[in-house]
Amino acid sequence: MNPYIPVIIVLIFGVVLGGILSGLAAFLGPKKYSREKMDPYECGVPKVTAGSEKMSVKFYLTAILFILFDIETVFLYLWARTFKELGWLGIIEIAVFVLILVVGYIYVVRRGALEWD
Amino acid sequence: MGMNLGIDFSSLLQWNDFTVDLVAFAVKFAILVGGLLQLPPLLVWIERRVPALMQRRRGPNRVGIFKWRLYGLLQSLADTVKLIFKEEVVPDGAHKVFYHLAPVFCVFPAFLVACAIPYGPDLTIYGYKIPLSVVRMDVGFLFIFAISSLAVYGVSLAGWASNNKYSLMGSLRASAQMISYEIPLGMSLIPIVLIYGTLDLGKIVEAQTSFFQWGVFAAPLSLLIFVICMFAETNRAPFDLAEAEGELVAGFHTEYNSAKFAAFFLGEYVSMFVLSCLASTVFFGGWQVPFVSYDALVAMLGSPNFVAPVGILMLLLKASFFMWVYIWVRWTLPRFRYDQLMSLGWKFMLPIGLANVVGTAIVLAVLRFK
Amino acid sequence: MEAFYFVPEMLFYAISGLILLSSIMVVAARNPVTSAIFLVVDLFFVAALYAQLDAHFTAAIQVLVYAGAIVVLFVFVIMILNLKPDALRGIRFSLGEALVLLITLAGFVIVGSELAHTAPDLTMPGNLGSAAIEMAGGNTYVVAMRMFTAFLWPFEIASVLILLAIVACVMIAKKDKRVTKS
Repeated sequence: MNPYIPVIIVLIFGVVLGGILSGLAAFLGPKKYSREKMDPYECGVPKVTAGSEKMSVKFYLTAILFILFDIETVFLYLWARTFKELGWLGIIEIAVFVLILVVGYIYVVRRGALEWD
Repeated sequence: MGMNLGIDFSSLLQWNDFTVDLVAFAVKFAILVGGLLQLPPLLVWIERRVPALMQRRRGPNRVGIFKWRLYGLLQSLADTVKLIFKEEVVPDGAHKVFYHLAPVFCVFPAFLVACAIPYGPDLTIYGYKIPLSVVRMDVGFLFIFAISSLAVYGVSLAGWASNNKYSLMGSLRASAQMISYEIPLGMSLIPIVLIYGTLDLGKIVEAQTSFFQWGVFAAPLSLLIFVICMFAETNRAPFDLAEAEGELVAGFHTEYNSAKFAAFFLGEYVSMFVLSCLASTVFFGGWQVPFVSYDALVAMLGSPNFVAPVGILMLLLKASFFMWVYIWVRWTLPRFRYDQLMSLGWKFMLPIGLANVVGTAIVLAVLRFK
Repeated sequence: MEAFYFVPEMLFYAISGLILLSSIMVVAARNPVTSAIFLVVDLFFVAALYAQLDAHFTAAIQVLVYAGAIVVLFVFVIMILNLKPDALRGIRFSLGEALVLLITLAGFVIVGSELAHTAPDLTMPGNLGSAAIEMAGGNTYVVAMRMFTAFLWPFEIASVLILLAIVACVMIAKKDKRVTKS
């Protein structure tokens, strides 16, 4: 049996379970409407500004750097899997790869792109 | 007549590889899910009693049946019932679909990842070999990382769909934190792959036959990085920035209550458990019993099938150690500041993780390749 | 004979249908977050298709990098800019975008004709030599060995591409605040 057939079954189950938990409340709980209850919760104080504001561009930078280093990690996994077979040649190959990215990392740190202030 | 649906019914009525696989899968999965659903009440109880012990208070100890109070164990049950029967308040500005979908995204990755953990040695029943993980595949680690990376959407959707600026802020913080620590988490396990030469969790456990072959002795730095990332990935203290009460009310699930709030809890506790199991599997020999090899155990107990329960118990014991660390640390360390958290991840964990990989590779190469 | 021998084929059509459906939703949805979530679903089912072809490594990477990382970026951008539904409605095609569309279509035609020309063995999805891959040491191993021997240059060039991307994104995001180190 292809190992992904159980995965698909488990996936469907997980979604159904999450859905049941998520839907349970709608059927079991009482329902009493009051205007104040439906407001966004800000510790009881009436809300000051609209529901959402523009956020720091830092998050964008974090996300994109995450993608790039995530890809690097995947390549490292590939190399690690064949470490024994490739020997020193593999180490040299991955060293070149990592060194180029370390240059990028140093650039990011020096430009202060990782500072949260 | 005979409409051919493409199903060979006769082969379904006898035992063969396929039917055994199917039945074994159903049984294993049912047991696993049954067990995982017991986790949150139990853990909530521990998480209230343990800090009470640490702070010299009593903690919940009243709820019980008649005069049996069971040290307040039933408090969790009462809370579960209460959560499920509470009124659900969906704030007016909430997105009609994603508000309800976010808890689903938090729950299903945790359950899916739990299926990839090898809980014990293979069973042999009537000549059929049954591995004690629900799904076993050769990409092991990568499957786990891939699926758990989807949990970010639960967090970010919850905050976005709530139409509350504190929720949004909390969810952005939490998801940025989760993705930032995913990289060192991934890197911390590369030395393990280098050492054992496989991504298959089952094979990694089998390779750790004796006590001193455990991953923790081969890659101690990896364990440290892994444990720190474990806390960040599950948004637990000291990295529970998303829930910094003083700043953000309750973070991304501020607007959630009743059963949906319980769903977030379930997701959090199951992923805590799975990461604990993963840490035990990779660094502490998984289901292997310390100082007694698998073969010796088989000889002692008479059959590999009797070793399996011992193995499962062993893994649960090791995993509960990590769960204990989770709770212990929560009541010991203060919360980080957000900029400290991000600098720790990017400026410390990432370089250390990479150096760990490079160092392990060089040492291994010198030892193995000459 | 294996029961449910029809399953691989049925699964293939079911997954393909879901991919098409979610792809249409990505384009048709009015809310940018809806688009992003359907993109996750879409990429996830593409991974399922890879898994069915016994390309387990590719499937895992598809979920890890595309569904779990790249769409996170999209979601972040939507959340940071606080895009409301229909925020992107008024946008018309510019000349550059039309050009990109044309190039993409050309790529489709080239890849399609190449596939038609080489005529790969598509006898049965899911059974394309899975035993052979298992014998060779598993999908990850085979991919890694090929990458570090036959495809070494593309691999090393990939690192340069990632470096360029790092530099570019820092330059875009940190345009006005140059930190001077003392």
